[in-house]
Amino acid sequence: MELVYSETRERQSSTELSDRELAVRARSGEMVSFETLVVRKTPAVVSLARRIVGNGEDARDVAQMVFLRVWNEIHRYDEKYSLNTWLYRIATNLAIDFLRSSRSRERAHGATLHLVREREERTADDATRVAEDAELARLFESVSGRLSEKQKAAFVLKEMEDLETSEIAAILGCGESTVRNHLFNARKILRREIGRLYPEFVRGVVKA
Amino acid sequence: MSALCPILRTSFDDYLADVLPAPQRRILREHLAACADCRRAALEKDPSFAFARPFAPEPVAEETAARILDAVRTGVALRQTEQRLRGVSSGRIAGSAAAAAAALVLALLIPGGGSSRRARTADARPGATPAAVQAAAVQPPPAARPVEPAVSSSEATIYDLNPGAGREEPRVVWIVDRGLDI
Repeated sequence: MELVYSETRERQSSTELSDRELAVRARSGEMVSFETLVVRKTPAVVSLARRIVGNGEDARDVAQMVFLRVWNEIHRYDEKYSLNTWLYRIATNLAIDFLRSSRSRERAHGATLHLVREREERTADDATRVAEDAELARLFESVSGRLSEKQKAAFVLKEMEDLETSEIAAILGCGESTVRNHLFNARKILRREIGRLYPEFVRGVVKA
Repeated sequence: MSALCPILRTSFDDYLADVLPAPQRRILREHLAACADCRRAALEKDPSFAFARPFAPEPVAEETAARILDAVRTGVALRQTEQRLRGVSSGRIAGSAAAAAAALVLALLIPGGGSSRRARTADARPGATPAAVQAAAVQPPPAARPVEPAVSSSEATIYDLNPGAGREEPRVVWIVDRGLDI
């Protein structure tokens, strides 16, 4: 009974700590802090993974791998640096690896076809709904299939996660000019795909 | 249309080329989220402006988050067990090496110890007497004997089922880990 009470109290106090403090405590082997970090970062990691791998089921698998990798590598975490950058680096790399697997590609392709069919059945009035975050995220999933893994990751981190180019370079392990190159090419492909798959989207928004 | 709109619209190209300084970039993104006219103008310029807005993390259902946490806990527990077992195994290797060294020292120190061992080894060679071969044949097989723990600690016990196995015979080791919560 005392043990349960003590663990609950420990968990409550750990939720008040910053990300960095939690990571430092987890590094010293404190499991409660690590679990608090997992709970706190799950939505961000799942969202990022979902935008890169293209579907929720795979994103959850990636999130599990991310946190296990974090646990294994926590002794390397340097609190001088942002935990988010470190976490995003692990998440992005694992999501890219996952995306490269043929299984994930097939699922993403299936999801895209489903979305295209779904979109075709909608009326023009639905254009207003497209402005919603979730809808835009799904739109991105459907038009980003032709981006390379790095182009996709760079675009997601820049536009959707709003990270600095220098941070993205650190996450992807490349130079800033390479990130800009990925972004340039990603925009070119997205422009073409949106125009091809959703001409009514651009027209609808422009006319509204 | 506000006075800010025409000024911000001149920064569209810089935004797309990723050369807009961070503060101006933030102002433009916030403005695009709030101003429908500028948003339309931006989309006309480049449809990828549709994604130029901060996306809040999608909510994760409690059940999903709990499943992820459970899976991570299980994974961590497995890794910890693996690490513990690796520790026990390396301890066993160190113990075996110490035992072998002690046996070697004893064999050298005890008078006749080395020669009697040599004699027993010679019995098993081709050309040994039939009586010696028969005596060796009636020895019970190793599996029929009760297995004593080779290494035991507070965390795990290792039973070595055929300690003499070499390259030709697979080595069978049974590890009982008390840390496993089954």
